[in-house]
Amino acid sequence: MGILQRSWPVDRRTLLKSSAAIAAVQFSSPFIIKARGETPVRIGLVDPLTGVYAAIAQNEVVGAKYALEEINKKGGILGRPVELLVEDSANDVGTGVQKTRKLIERDQVSFIIGDVNSGIAIAMAQVTSEKKVLHVVSGGHTDAVTGSGCSWNVFRVCNSTTMDANAIAATLIEKFGKKWYFLTPDYAYGHSVQAGFEKVLKAAGGTSAGSLVPLGTPDYSSYLIQAKAYGPQVLINVMGGGDQVSSLKQFVQFGLDKQMAVGGALFELESIRAVPDAARVGWWTMEWWWDQPGVPHVAEFNAAIKKITGNAATARNWFGYASVQTLALIANQEKSLDAIKLAHALSGFKLPPEIALQPGAPEYRAGDHELMSTVFVGEAHPPQGDPDNMFTIKNPVPGEKAAGPVEATGCKMQWPA
Amino acid sequence: MKAEHTRKLIVLAAIWVALLLAPYWMAPLGGYTALATRVLVLGLAAMSLNFLLGFTGVLSFGHAAYFGLGAYGAGLTLKFLALSTPLALVAGMLLGGLCGAILGLLIVRRRGVYFAMVTIAFGQVFYYIAFQWSSLTGGDDGLRGFSRQPIDFGAFKLDILSSANSFYYFVLFCFALAVGVMGFILRSPFGRTMIAIRENERRSRFLGIPVERHIWIAFTLSCFFMGFAGALYALVNNFADPRGLHYSQSGDFVMMAVMGGMRSFWGPLLGATVFVVLQDYLSSVTVNWMSFVGLLFVLVVLFFPRGLLGFFQRSKA
Repeated sequence: MGILQRSWPVDRRTLLKSSAAIAAVQFSSPFIIKARGETPVRIGLVDPLTGVYAAIAQNEVVGAKYALEEINKKGGILGRPVELLVEDSANDVGTGVQKTRKLIERDQVSFIIGDVNSGIAIAMAQVTSEKKVLHVVSGGHTDAVTGSGCSWNVFRVCNSTTMDANAIAATLIEKFGKKWYFLTPDYAYGHSVQAGFEKVLKAAGGTSAGSLVPLGTPDYSSYLIQAKAYGPQVLINVMGGGDQVSSLKQFVQFGLDKQMAVGGALFELESIRAVPDAARVGWWTMEWWWDQPGVPHVAEFNAAIKKITGNAATARNWFGYASVQTLALIANQEKSLDAIKLAHALSGFKLPPEIALQPGAPEYRAGDHELMSTVFVGEAHPPQGDPDNMFTIKNPVPGEKAAGPVEATGCKMQWPA
Repeated sequence: MKAEHTRKLIVLAAIWVALLLAPYWMAPLGGYTALATRVLVLGLAAMSLNFLLGFTGVLSFGHAAYFGLGAYGAGLTLKFLALSTPLALVAGMLLGGLCGAILGLLIVRRRGVYFAMVTIAFGQVFYYIAFQWSSLTGGDDGLRGFSRQPIDFGAFKLDILSSANSFYYFVLFCFALAVGVMGFILRSPFGRTMIAIRENERRSRFLGIPVERHIWIAFTLSCFFMGFAGALYALVNNFADPRGLHYSQSGDFVMMAVMGGMRSFWGPLLGATVFVVLQDYLSSVTVNWMSFVGLLFVLVVLFFPRGLLGFFQRSKA
């Protein structure tokens, strides 16, 4: 026992060095240049694959990859194969900007898609317009993207915050009444959503009050008591993520669901899946929905996504899908990869039904480059039949109606000479 | 003694040659110029933190606040005051440094873990100010609507906006300036005093050194450097956002300093290089890149307590 015997002549350092070397080898494959026939057209996708938006960002990637598969089956872009390079922005502006530069400068991508986080999307747009690269914002909702911060090369698939707010506000006024109470997270996004709602309500002659709630609040009792005392017909819940879940749960626990309606802008399918039945209540907007009986191609798309993820397709799947398909369509139509030419062609471009996957033919509005996509207003509920059937569309609002006039967005489109 | 001196000179020359030629050797290795720029800026930030951590021996966990203040200082100057890149850099540095000087007066009274806690607390104060004051800072969406401006030398203009290489050399020039001043301070009697405090605070006190005042000066200087790095970062991104002030960002800086080697002057630059390049490369390969960066950090702390640079130096000796 006393004698320490080394059975094999390898010391700790050698072991460390070799394991580090083996680990390093794992990552070396991308450096090997693969034999290629034709130079592919590259599309760069930057999304927060890690961090709080990871789940929805991953779903955009699924949709984008599915679109890629379809495009390559049909001959690619300009007869060349298409390649999708996915980068993680880690939900950090600096990293997102860095990855965008990497994709444009090193990987020579022709198009950029991203980001779920609006702040990163805007910062990326500065890079893409500087580099003159066509940029589709797949899932960042802040108004500024196609509003005060709009740019000739930036097009957006998902709705703006105002579109969502306008669509649901009209429905709530009509169905329940004009006395509202707001539960709003106390930061820029919350304030702007509440302001959007208040504008519609005021125009209809309604009254409102509200509480500003710090982010990450676990206990909503004091706010809910205030709401009860005010006696509104509708409680507008602007809270996001985990805050939305806990506030909704407590809303039901307090029995307020019997006294007033609850609603708000977005309650994405990914979020509804993540909450218990008790919090699956209220009136919300969906930006796309998998169950649209009678609308062509929707069922096929849903089935294809279900094959990949095992779940029904979400709005995020569609965002990724529509973003990639838009780029391929316009490049093939114009037979060019020139950003300025394609951006001009995309202004006013109508999506065909197999890509739009919704009633009507939404277009990228020329004035602000926002896709005039239908806003599906409806009610959330615990699953009925299909486990993903947790939302029923009650009132699809056409995009043009929800978006309002271009002048109201504050966008002044400037084209390069 | 003489041989060691020559060796040091050679290493120094090698570092500068590598930095000067970075845009040329990075591209064939799968890098790109903007990555090198980011390495320089975050490296400068890590070196600023190490000025305090490695040479004075006090751990600040809230230095991102002064980094972020520098970024906002530069951004706000470009957006509202004047379209001048040098002015923006100075304004950012002053904002970070002066806030550091004022808060430093309160912070230096504590030591050890309490010092770290107080720095986190003050750092988060600035984070929430930037997060909530939407009308000025843009809140959660970040400060946008500004961009770095060409530098006018009278005879010619240096276009640092569209030319990635010009901007890299501009940042390298700023980096060299800051690092030169930092090295100069560390060689001065004041720098020696800082190291004396690090080695044995009680003994320094007995020698009649006003320890609190020295730590305060070191903290303030470090915040000035940090503010300068932050201002450069705002120019890199043409954007400033509250996450740059968050304590998780401070943690990244500490990680870079410790990983590279906090007892050596150049260690944090190496740490920042490894951190940034690894993040850039691994995150394209796998979404679990954080596990690998964390694993590397754990390995470094366990097996090379003097950091990567300390390990290389020891194995050479």
